[in-house]
Amino acid sequence: MDFFSAMDISSSALSAERTRMNLISSNLANASSTRTSEGGPYRRRDAVFSALPLSGRFQSGLGRLGQPVLKQVAVAQIVEDSAPPRLQYEPSHPDANADGYVALPNVNVMEEMVDMISATRAYEANITAVQAAKSMAMKTLELGK
Amino acid sequence: MGLDAIFDTTTEVLGKSIDLRAKNHGFISANLANADTPGYLPASLSFEGELRKTLRGGGDTATTHPRHIPLAGVATGLHRLQGKVVESSANLPGKDGNGVELDEEMGRMVENQILYNASIQLLAQKFDVVKYAIKGGS
Repeated sequence: MDFFSAMDISSSALSAERTRMNLISSNLANASSTRTSEGGPYRRRDAVFSALPLSGRFQSGLGRLGQPVLKQVAVAQIVEDSAPPRLQYEPSHPDANADGYVALPNVNVMEEMVDMISATRAYEANITAVQAAKSMAMKTLELGK
Repeated sequence: MGLDAIFDTTTEVLGKSIDLRAKNHGFISANLANADTPGYLPASLSFEGELRKTLRGGGDTATTHPRHIPLAGVATGLHRLQGKVVESSANLPGKDGNGVELDEEMGRMVENQILYNASIQLLAQKFDVVKYAIKGGS
């Protein structure tokens, strides 16, 4: 049924946006962590999204016929930002190098806040889509009452 | 009296419209879900023009002579109507090649929902009329 596949797509997006939100929280929480288990300062993490054809026999059949199919979203991978760490002059810090500079995580708090708002809005948009699908389906059930 | 006399073309059209709008909601949901996916281009279902053409001319087959028999009537034309999936090339794709505009999709979703609800309401009224007649006006 169409509404259920629409809801599947929206919930795939909800879970992807939640992963993104977790990464943003992790970036913000570790904005000044100078030590990690891998060594060195924390590195900013980001999720890479990819569009996947909705699973199901009907949809894969359409795909084989060369028809456009509905696409859900999935987190393809989580990447570490390769930008160099921020250097801050703080000679008394235990992690300071010989010149007195401390390598701080390459996290920009402003950027993370903007990403957080964008993730929140995308989450809300998908919630609205689920609600719309639900109300349309409920309306259909009222037919013939 | 056949069933056709009870359920006229309007009922068929409303049913088709509900069907296609439900499908369209799937496409809009997919666009919203992929609002942050790099390289994704929005797709949508276009059927309004086709539906209008079917109602007016009864499908794709044109009759060029008054004595031609049309290949398909309105009902068959409606059955065949699937809508066309249009993958819109983004007018302003972002840096990541994503062409989804969140506000535009939200607007289209609300419009689709309202028209869906309108079709359902009209269909319910159609059925009410039939029910009224069956009950002998009581």
